[in-house]
Amino acid sequence: MTSTLKGITLKGSAEIVAEFFSFGINSILYQRGIYPPETFSRVTHYDMSLQVTTDVKLKNYLTNVVSQLKEWLCECTVQKLVLVITCLETNEVLERWQFDIECDKSAKESSAPREKSLKTIQEEIRSVIRQITASVTFLPLLETPCAFDLLVYTDKDLVVPDKWEESGPQIINQSEEVRLRSFTTSIHKVNSMVAYKRADSV
Amino acid sequence: MAEGGDVEWELCKENIQPLRRGRHISALQEALSQQQEGDNSAINQQRQAFESELRMYDGDDPLDVWDRYIKWTEQTFPQGGKESHLSTLLERVATRFTEEKKYHNDPRYVEHWIKFAMTCPEPLDIYRYMQAQGIGATQASFYIAWSEEYENQGNSCKADLVYQEGFKKHAEPNEKLQQFHKALQARVSRQVMMNVEEDDSDDEPKQPERISLVDLKHRGKKKAIVPVNRTGSAIRSVSGGLQSQGTSVLGNASNSRLVIFDENKIPSAGPSEPKLESWGAPPTARAKENEQRPEKWCDVKMRQKNKYGQTIMAPPPSKPTFQPFVEESDQPPTMTPCKINPAVNTVLSARKPCREETPLKRIQELHQHQNESEPGKPQEESMYCKELLLSGVTEFCFEELRAERYHQKMAQKTEVRGQSDQASATDVK
Repeated sequence: MTSTLKGITLKGSAEIVAEFFSFGINSILYQRGIYPPETFSRVTHYDMSLQVTTDVKLKNYLTNVVSQLKEWLCECTVQKLVLVITCLETNEVLERWQFDIECDKSAKESSAPREKSLKTIQEEIRSVIRQITASVTFLPLLETPCAFDLLVYTDKDLVVPDKWEESGPQIINQSEEVRLRSFTTSIHKVNSMVAYKRADSV
Repeated sequence: MAEGGDVEWELCKENIQPLRRGRHISALQEALSQQQEGDNSAINQQRQAFESELRMYDGDDPLDVWDRYIKWTEQTFPQGGKESHLSTLLERVATRFTEEKKYHNDPRYVEHWIKFAMTCPEPLDIYRYMQAQGIGATQASFYIAWSEEYENQGNSCKADLVYQEGFKKHAEPNEKLQQFHKALQARVSRQVMMNVEEDDSDDEPKQPERISLVDLKHRGKKKAIVPVNRTGSAIRSVSGGLQSQGTSVLGNASNSRLVIFDENKIPSAGPSEPKLESWGAPPTARAKENEQRPEKWCDVKMRQKNKYGQTIMAPPPSKPTFQPFVEESDQPPTMTPCKINPAVNTVLSARKPCREETPLKRIQELHQHQNESEPGKPQEESMYCKELLLSGVTEFCFEELRAERYHQKMAQKTEVRGQSDQASATDVK
């Protein structure tokens, strides 16, 4: 992405969305304490300081996922990305961060770039990430060591690549759901939502 | 986009106290919007309902009402604070059931005690008191909370001992206790590992030790002020202070009456040091350590006064080294709308709590009082239903109680009548 960008192409849009996921997932992992905070380092992106993991394995895993995701975004075959936080001991799902992706499939045929400035898109992304950070005010404390998992919902006819496996939706029963902000590149629209266990069902 | 409601919690995020169990988003939104409108009537009504339920309850689980009342309070007052009366409620519920043994290991009751302890200035005292009273002795959550408190204070050894105590008492649920114990061990060992790694990388002691008789770097041009922290970088390079002193001693060996003993030098290096001379004169009694060193005065400036006799202001603080983030938006920065109703948030407190009167002390006194009254001494005894009037956080008057009873009776009557009406209606058919 360069500053000379006049409009948004499909490829560029996929790039932006994938980048958002990379930073968004990192933010969630940091905010929710899934990995120890000392394994994160601060970077400045989207004009805000963000925490990005320095754990080599995690980094590789995330780049793998994100690059695969980028492919699917380009093909407009991805519908959802879900980050599931489960208790390590009991495998119980405690939190579910869901990002619904709406692809404008007409962009695949016509290659004409869309009119939307990168600045406004980044503005929208910023407000999503801010909300992720602010959500600690109502989310329950994760008292036990937790693991996370990423689920990607794609169109049915897609061949599952190596290193990926099919899984269930991993839905929390009796959950409280909070819709967060959304952003759109005018080709991909991302709606975010977090679901967590209801307070009295604990 | 359905974001109209979502903005509410985000604007108030600093004023929402996180709860261990999380919050109901709907309750949160409602509470925040009510606060914004300054509309307390619904909240007051609900509170009144809870208060009268506390008094009117005659089932066999009075804790249930308290439990619901406290949970409601937590969810309804996101920023906590005085008007929530949460700490009062917790204290009341804790004292209310200290005599009832059946609640001592009720998870709800223990939970309230733990929350109460967290609102106190000295939680450890409360936990010790709980242990002495046998409250929560078989509840894992009690030991976990106690241990976490120790850990927060940096005493991981004691934190571990608390878990041992919990295992000895067969606290339930055992798996939870074990899980948290393991987590504590993992944290402690990780800490130790990290410390070891740091030690390996640079051979410095963990805690910089304060060295005696060294020159300190001073701050301030007009007045030499040594920093509060007198270790590490604050020490002027050793060659400057100590050795020059040493050489001066050597050089003026004939003049010097006494040799300053330097405890920082390794005793094995003794031979190179000047031999101790016998005391020519008794050492002066004054401790010279904190006296200001003689220094050049010619360049020192007095604090200057300007024409009007006022001291000149200190120079403005130097610019921060980091770049403050400024949003690129074109419009001038708008104020974030204030979401807290100023009428609710009075800054002044009505009464400062007396320092001697800690919540724990109050509980202990009450307990003692109750014990003393047992042997049948002529004690003060109120001949009215005092505990009913002063049960929750508000005070009821007799009329209110009577009205409540009356309403209850009327409700029962109408119910009975309704049933009989139905019965008669079926008869007619």
